[in-house]
Amino acid sequence: MQPENFYYDNKIVRNFGIATVIWGIIGMTVGLIIAIQLYHPAANMGNQYTTYGRIRPLHTNAVIFAFVGNAIFMGVYYSLQRLLKARMFSDVLSQIHFWGWQLIIVSAVITLPLGLTTSHEYAELEWPIDIAITIIWVVFGWNMFGTIFKRRERHLYVAIWFYIATFVTIAVLHIVNSIELPVSPFKSYMVYAGVQDALVQWWYGHNAVAFFLTTPYLGMMYYFLPKMANRPIYSYKLSILHFWALIFIYIWAGPHHLLYTTLPGWAQSLGVAFSIMLIAPSWGGMINGLLTLRGAWDKVRDDVILKFMVVALTAYGMATFEGPMLSLKQVNGIAHFSDWIIAHVHVGALGWNGFLTFAVLYWLIPRIYKTELFSKKMASFHFWIGTLGILFYAIPMYWAGFTQSLMLKEFTPEGMLKYPNFLETTLQILPMHIMRSAGGAMYLLGVIVMAYNLTRTALQGKLVANEAAQAMPLEPANQVAREAHWHRRLERRPIQMLIAALLVILVGTFVELMPTLTISSNIPTIAAVKPYTPLELQGRDLYIREGCSNCHSQTVRPFRSETERYGEYSKAGEFVYDHPFLWGSKRTGPDLARIGQKYGNAWHYNHLMDPRLMSPGSIMPEYSWLITQKLDTSLTRAKIHAMRTLGVPYPIGYENIANQDLDKQAKAISANLYEDKIKVKSNREIIAIIAYLQRLGTDIKANKTVNNIK
Amino acid sequence: MKHHRIFIFLVLLLLFIQPAMADDDSVATGDLMNYIAFGSFFAVLLLILAAMLVVLRAFRVLTRVLLKHQGLNSAQIAAEMNPVKAKKPKAEVWQKLLSLKPLAQEHELLIAHDYDGIQELDNPIPAWFMYLFYGTIIFAIGYLLNYHVFKTGQLQYAEYNTEMAQAAIEKKAFLAKAANRVDENTVKLVSDPAVLASGGAIFKSTCAPCHGEHAQGNVGPNLTDDYWLHGSKINDLFKTIKYGVLSKGMPTWEKQLSPKQISDVANYIKSLHGTNPAGAKAPQGTKEEDTDKKLVANN
Repeated sequence: MQPENFYYDNKIVRNFGIATVIWGIIGMTVGLIIAIQLYHPAANMGNQYTTYGRIRPLHTNAVIFAFVGNAIFMGVYYSLQRLLKARMFSDVLSQIHFWGWQLIIVSAVITLPLGLTTSHEYAELEWPIDIAITIIWVVFGWNMFGTIFKRRERHLYVAIWFYIATFVTIAVLHIVNSIELPVSPFKSYMVYAGVQDALVQWWYGHNAVAFFLTTPYLGMMYYFLPKMANRPIYSYKLSILHFWALIFIYIWAGPHHLLYTTLPGWAQSLGVAFSIMLIAPSWGGMINGLLTLRGAWDKVRDDVILKFMVVALTAYGMATFEGPMLSLKQVNGIAHFSDWIIAHVHVGALGWNGFLTFAVLYWLIPRIYKTELFSKKMASFHFWIGTLGILFYAIPMYWAGFTQSLMLKEFTPEGMLKYPNFLETTLQILPMHIMRSAGGAMYLLGVIVMAYNLTRTALQGKLVANEAAQAMPLEPANQVAREAHWHRRLERRPIQMLIAALLVILVGTFVELMPTLTISSNIPTIAAVKPYTPLELQGRDLYIREGCSNCHSQTVRPFRSETERYGEYSKAGEFVYDHPFLWGSKRTGPDLARIGQKYGNAWHYNHLMDPRLMSPGSIMPEYSWLITQKLDTSLTRAKIHAMRTLGVPYPIGYENIANQDLDKQAKAISANLYEDKIKVKSNREIIAIIAYLQRLGTDIKANKTVNNIK
Repeated sequence: MKHHRIFIFLVLLLLFIQPAMADDDSVATGDLMNYIAFGSFFAVLLLILAAMLVVLRAFRVLTRVLLKHQGLNSAQIAAEMNPVKAKKPKAEVWQKLLSLKPLAQEHELLIAHDYDGIQELDNPIPAWFMYLFYGTIIFAIGYLLNYHVFKTGQLQYAEYNTEMAQAAIEKKAFLAKAANRVDENTVKLVSDPAVLASGGAIFKSTCAPCHGEHAQGNVGPNLTDDYWLHGSKINDLFKTIKYGVLSKGMPTWEKQLSPKQISDVANYIKSLHGTNPAGAKAPQGTKEEDTDKKLVANN
């Protein structure tokens, strides 16, 4: 047999690399802006398109799917070709993949500030974009498997196992979590409601971390680290064990995001148990990486790229130990909803994803441009400012989270909450938030320096768009001797590998999702809970549009400190008409599950117009446009109809008269506001959102007022 | 010596300035002070970092100068400054702890196959790693048994009931001792300045947003005139504050203010009667005679 000559496609790698850097800078800049908004409300810039609630999802989407996403594709397209000794299957598919993905990101950048969102965290994009993501993901998989099929290397290296698991699991997660019923081209309702929706969302949300931020990066680590250090991988056996254990166990851990909610107790406990078991499989990757550096630690001292890798692996190790600890319910009771979680995810995002991406960029760009890195000093500066930035980010946030949580839980000897006013605890941690944004700014500065350094590197070299390579073609499979080890055999069969990975992740998925989605006794219903009125439903959609759930939770946990502060703890039956659920994951402001009837309409009006009028020092943005904008009632009919399709018991034909009811209720609220000398037309958005807020949690609330005590 | 004097003088100066600054803090709001304080804290941290770098640099330069002074030439100095690092003995403790094979024997473990130049070692999975893994599995099984099979651990709602019962016991014990058991039936009208001051502070932070800084009325009604919606007696006020009037937007304060605090703020509001603040809201409710005052006068 003759060796075959072929060319690696470096141009597509370069393109993904450029996209990584540009979106990284954009995503982190938005992050810095929202960090500043949290202590300086004027940074919301006084218009609806740049308020925290709308651009926080922009930040998360940009850094996860644009920065990390493009970095994954850069790493995969570079390493896959070389590990398989083959050019990518189709240049056309590569192009479609690249431009399709950038188009999806651009559409996110446009729709999220417009308030077009499903409100599902890390899956905010509306249904047409969800479909586009599915198509592009299939293109990616097609291109990857096409390449695998024409490979010149019989065995699939461990990096590729991780890529395959990533592909198949993300496909499952994305599809299941995006089952929505469209109401209009830009609006849809989640098919699941309340607890079920929450479970699906956090099964997705948790495993987006697992299979978008972890497994592809472990794959990249397995290719790039031995290349960078010029050392063999420490243990092949450990690779096998930690790969299968990781993907099997990770999928179960989602419910730890819902501890102390109305999720059934058995599901919560499964989430905790599997989270604890996840420590060793997660650490397997770190250990295999760090031990690969055995005998190369002297290189780490001089080589900034290896320094980035070591910090990345260490951050990964810390975050994957902290995660299981946070899932213990005693710890979770303090940490959940607080800045502690923000610190935790940023150790992972800035340390693991960020630093590994930078290492790969510094290593790969000079190689595909056939040159040396423009400035080692600048790269070294980037490393140190980035590391300091992580510390300045994480430490104040741990401090803030701990402080605020303990304040919220503190009681006086009289049995009263020591800080009954939530705002008091917020004001206490503002200095920590200021320091956090300084840390973020340092990190961003490092990335900008890197962008300059890489640009100069590219300018001084010349892109080797098609890199020549040579390899022997594969012998026909029937002429290859059968191997003794079962896993060696599996490594030669990509389709079996794909199916095995799929089956492994479906076990946890079925055991956890199916009972909650299908057995009605898991969600006890409450007769007093009625569907939202048309006006309240419209108000709820405004609540979603403004992204209120980014700062306000809607679930009261069964803790004394919460029932004293907010009222009776939440019941599963209260959420059965909530498509989607709006429990939120962070309490920057107080919980709103029982805000209904707590304050007057006038209070809400003034508070939304300028929160600082009613709560001096509040960091909430102003929502003055709700007063000037007319409520769009053209979709009421479609919305009621869609809700009934999803099982909300509106009477047949109610959609035809819904807007009449809506008007009636709006006029009553407007008249009530008039009594307090507030003149506002009944067709304004603020009326709808007040109606919704006044409804929240009132279905089963026992009101103790002067009137009904008498 | 001279320097010492200047130093002592500066310290003394600071000591004198500080109280003067404290007296003057009404100029800057608490927020601003926080910003300044943390800004300067941050600046000092950076300054210390910078100073450390400068000192490090200075030491290097100093060493160089000293060595030159001792008559070494530049090559010798360079050698002194960057000594060749002696080979440290292999970290055998680590090797033992992590049960690693010495690097010298590594070639025995190399798997022949390579992927784009990447080779793999056939190291066994470290035993301690497996212990960790088995340990977590045992913990997980124990966790599930504890909460769902033997039911020795409390799930969230049982946990909540325990917490509330415990709190009720503690509260009862405390209230039995403390003379804090005032309610709408036992509340008394007092004009003790300490009570009014405490009530005034609570009013400012919790009531002023709706009722106005001087109780002149805003979203909520004017509290200084003769007109009352829910009664003007101290008992009425106590009750209104405690339970709220939810239909009119007055929140329940029972959970946020202690009985003593409610009594203080009710007394403070009574003390504002007839103050006629600027920008008073138009009367709401019915005109009521101030029976409390009469009672006090009669007594």
